[in-house]
Amino acid sequence: MKMFFSGGCKNGKSSLAEDCARVLAGEGPLYYLATMIPHDEEDRERIRRHVASRAGKGFATIECGVHITDAVRGVDAKGSFLLDSVTALLTNEMFRDGEFDPHAAERVAEELCELADSVGSIVFVSDFIFADTGMYDEFTEIYRAGLARCDAALARCCDTVVEINLATPILYKGVMPL
Amino acid sequence: MDLVIGGAYQGKLDYAKRALAVTDGEVCDCAAEEADFSRRCLYHFEQYVYRCVCRGETPQLPTREDAVVIADDIFCGVVPIDETVRAWREQCGRTLTQVASRSRTVTRLFCGLDKRIKG
Repeated sequence: MKMFFSGGCKNGKSSLAEDCARVLAGEGPLYYLATMIPHDEEDRERIRRHVASRAGKGFATIECGVHITDAVRGVDAKGSFLLDSVTALLTNEMFRDGEFDPHAAERVAEELCELADSVGSIVFVSDFIFADTGMYDEFTEIYRAGLARCDAALARCCDTVVEINLATPILYKGVMPL
Repeated sequence: MDLVIGGAYQGKLDYAKRALAVTDGEVCDCAAEEADFSRRCLYHFEQYVYRCVCRGETPQLPTREDAVVIADDIFCGVVPIDETVRAWREQCGRTLTQVASRSRTVTRLFCGLDKRIKG
């Protein structure tokens, strides 16, 4: 099963996604695709919190900040994967090496769907950054439109699409494995 | 009247064309031009509300029976510091609640997928 989760910040997406990925793994291998490339102490602290919350849940962590399709080389692709998050991955690809790539989202959307097709099960986690009064600069708007493009591509290719609101799943497509 | 709501870039206009048979010629893009209530589809209705707030006017509601209102959901997030943006956010909530109550259907778009929340 391929699942896509999005929703507001600190609404329980990651923990619900972890639970789903574990259920989908059954007795098989369980992998965590860690996308965040830390840039400062705050990022490192966030990563420490996520690592601690996953401890003992049986995930093997694969670090992959860019080129997401490479992440599953050399591991059991029939296993269950958790990718957290689409948001961080797109940030890394769009602003790689201090350069701005306005076309990154097209590439990332394609690679994410390719990844979804190549694995046994996967849960994607994204962030819903589209419902506020923000009036952003051009780069941020390109980023927001790009993330929406990745999200919509994943929503098309996944079996289950869920909005997480205060740890409560709202189904837009498919069923929950829990 | 039908209301299509959701976050930015969620595929609302595509949905209106697909499910409500809105054609390009019927669309008034309120982000680019003044709201024309004689047109069937008012796209970026939240931008019309923004202009009304800036001008100190109360937004009108569409009168056409077959009107399709498409608006970005801007109600979430922290209370904006800027007074105009704050008033805009509130006026959008009020106006779109009225639009919703007069609408036959209200549909929310999420990552290109639609969910009927009324009708």
